[in-house]
Amino acid sequence: MNPREIIEKALREGRRKLLEHEALHVVKHYGAEIAEADIAYTPEEAGEIAEKIGFPVVLKIVSPDISHKSDVGGVIVGVKTKEEAVEAAKKILENVSKKAPNARISGILVQKMAPKGLEVIIGGLRDNIFGPVVMFGLGGIFVEVLKDVSFRIAPITINDALEMMSEIKSAKLLEGYRGQPPVNKEALAKTIIAVAKLLEENPEIDSIDLNPVIAYPDRALVVDARIILRQYEK
Amino acid sequence: MLNKFFEPRSVAIIGATPKPGKVGRVILENFIKRFKGRIYPVNPKYDEILGLKCYNNVKEIPDEVDLAVIAIPAPRVPSVMRDIAEKGIKAVIIISGGFRETGTEEGARLEEEIKKIAVENGIRILGPNCLGIFDNWSGVDTFFLPDEKMKRPPKGPISFISQSGAFASALLDWMAHHKIGLSRSISYGNKVDVDDIDLLEYLGRDDKTGLIIMYLEGLKPGRGRLFIDIARKVSREKPIIIYKAGKTSRGGLAAASHTAALAGNYQLYKAAIKQAGLIEALSFDEIMDLAKTLLTQPLMNGDRVYIVTDAGGVGVMSTDALTMQGFNVPRTPSDLKDKLREMLPPHCIVENPIDLTGDADDDRYIKVLETLLPRSDVDAVIVVALPQIPGLKGKLFDYLVNARKYNKPILVIMIGSEEAEKFKEYLEDNGIPVFESPERAAVALRALYEYSMFKEKEKRSRGSEE
Repeated sequence: MNPREIIEKALREGRRKLLEHEALHVVKHYGAEIAEADIAYTPEEAGEIAEKIGFPVVLKIVSPDISHKSDVGGVIVGVKTKEEAVEAAKKILENVSKKAPNARISGILVQKMAPKGLEVIIGGLRDNIFGPVVMFGLGGIFVEVLKDVSFRIAPITINDALEMMSEIKSAKLLEGYRGQPPVNKEALAKTIIAVAKLLEENPEIDSIDLNPVIAYPDRALVVDARIILRQYEK
Repeated sequence: MLNKFFEPRSVAIIGATPKPGKVGRVILENFIKRFKGRIYPVNPKYDEILGLKCYNNVKEIPDEVDLAVIAIPAPRVPSVMRDIAEKGIKAVIIISGGFRETGTEEGARLEEEIKKIAVENGIRILGPNCLGIFDNWSGVDTFFLPDEKMKRPPKGPISFISQSGAFASALLDWMAHHKIGLSRSISYGNKVDVDDIDLLEYLGRDDKTGLIIMYLEGLKPGRGRLFIDIARKVSREKPIIIYKAGKTSRGGLAAASHTAALAGNYQLYKAAIKQAGLIEALSFDEIMDLAKTLLTQPLMNGDRVYIVTDAGGVGVMSTDALTMQGFNVPRTPSDLKDKLREMLPPHCIVENPIDLTGDADDDRYIKVLETLLPRSDVDAVIVVALPQIPGLKGKLFDYLVNARKYNKPILVIMIGSEEAEKFKEYLEDNGIPVFESPERAAVALRALYEYSMFKEKEKRSRGSEE
């Protein structure tokens, strides 16, 4: 499905939030690289998807009613074979049926595990005065405690995106730190621009969080995407 | 398009009155004193006010009217607006309060009504609930504060757009007191129609405006992107200094995402300010420090700043202040060192900050500056001239005024009493900004540097577009 179809489907179903795989696919369509993922509706399908995208994978429950997936046993990481994936999917469904028996289950997300790297957050929202705006910051305490982020009003150029990265106080971490290699800023810039375009071209989108995006010397992978739609106006 | 507000040939003042102290009286007096065009007081109670024939209604004025000024209670404004529409007047300043700002339903309704009349008849409105315009060239002056309460500044290149009427009047009074020249000043109040963007566009094209100061609380919804585009265009031509009031975040609003939680109102304005190439002043002091520097000093080619001082301590303070603003205070290169050693007594310090010490005189400064200013590796010079030392008699300051020919920023730091004031006045009258503290000088130079970089970047990106 293309982004328009995904968004329209969600609105038709009365959802304000895209499901994980939907959000990832929308972001991918706009030129960001994602940790490959798809949704499985049966344990067998989980095995097939896992084999298709390559190991290791992580399996996560997808449900509009569950926001803390680990708390209900809804996440299994480090799955290395097709058989393990089928078993993991069964196990997740069993856990969830016990711990959250009333939750609606949309399926199970099977996602390629991203190797370790520098975690950043890229976001966007629609502001009443400025319209689409984008945000960049480093993950974890940098965003949550230090609020070390930068903003730009869309549309932006690649230079604007690069400037956003150099503007944060912790910018040096992007250059490599304690033996870590520098990250690929162009890849991050491309992801920021994807968020800006997404907001500009889809007025139904209210806000986007890509958290984390993992940055490497050669690329940047969106691991988790959250897309909130505007309150449906009747 | 806003010409009729600033340079009308004729003006109708609705609510003009002979009663002393009333808004309608002060405005009429202002116009009589300063305005060069024709003035028509309108008030059904009088046949004549202050020697001018008074009309019952704008429709009776036997002349084309370019601008109407309304200073009557809000509930009567809509009917006057209808008369104005019939008369064919296309520019209206509504001074009256009592509209949306009251937070009442009636106020909001009245505002909608005047807006509707304006839209239907192609009338532009400035206000309501504002001081309107003070224009030093045409003499349009709706600032309803009499001269003895608010002095009018001399003519000059600075124009001022203010969301706060009170701040506008205070700033004008202050500028008058400090003999700082003003071009045009606008307080737009509730901005039902004419807003920051329209005014920036007008002042951007106005050859009597060399620099714009904006006091902004907030833009109208949906106008943010256009504001950036227009402000950026204007910034390519002339500097815009902005003071953004209301910096605290929109806390308390439930946020649906990380991004929303972090996107405080001011954070977004800061991004917009940067993207538009605006120069942000963070305090009242900064507004004027930045203005006098940007108005008088040439753009910078780089970030290398040299300090020439007669006081070691203030040299170090200046180095700290400049470094904290991101400047490069380079070590004196060896060829320059050799030259300086040759011309200076051995106790002077040739390392940057170059310390001429307390026995310096005008000539010692001049020799050093004459060596520094032409060099291509010097982007700006800070001259610390504490006038307490006996050797400083004033020749240095004549030299500095003349040294503008090198086309490099020269900022002077001077701390002291009458002597300092005297030199400061001379220098500032001749286009050299003087500061009482190294910190303020460094902030002002930083603004000049950022504006220089913005202009450079715009030139490059426009070059590549072509």
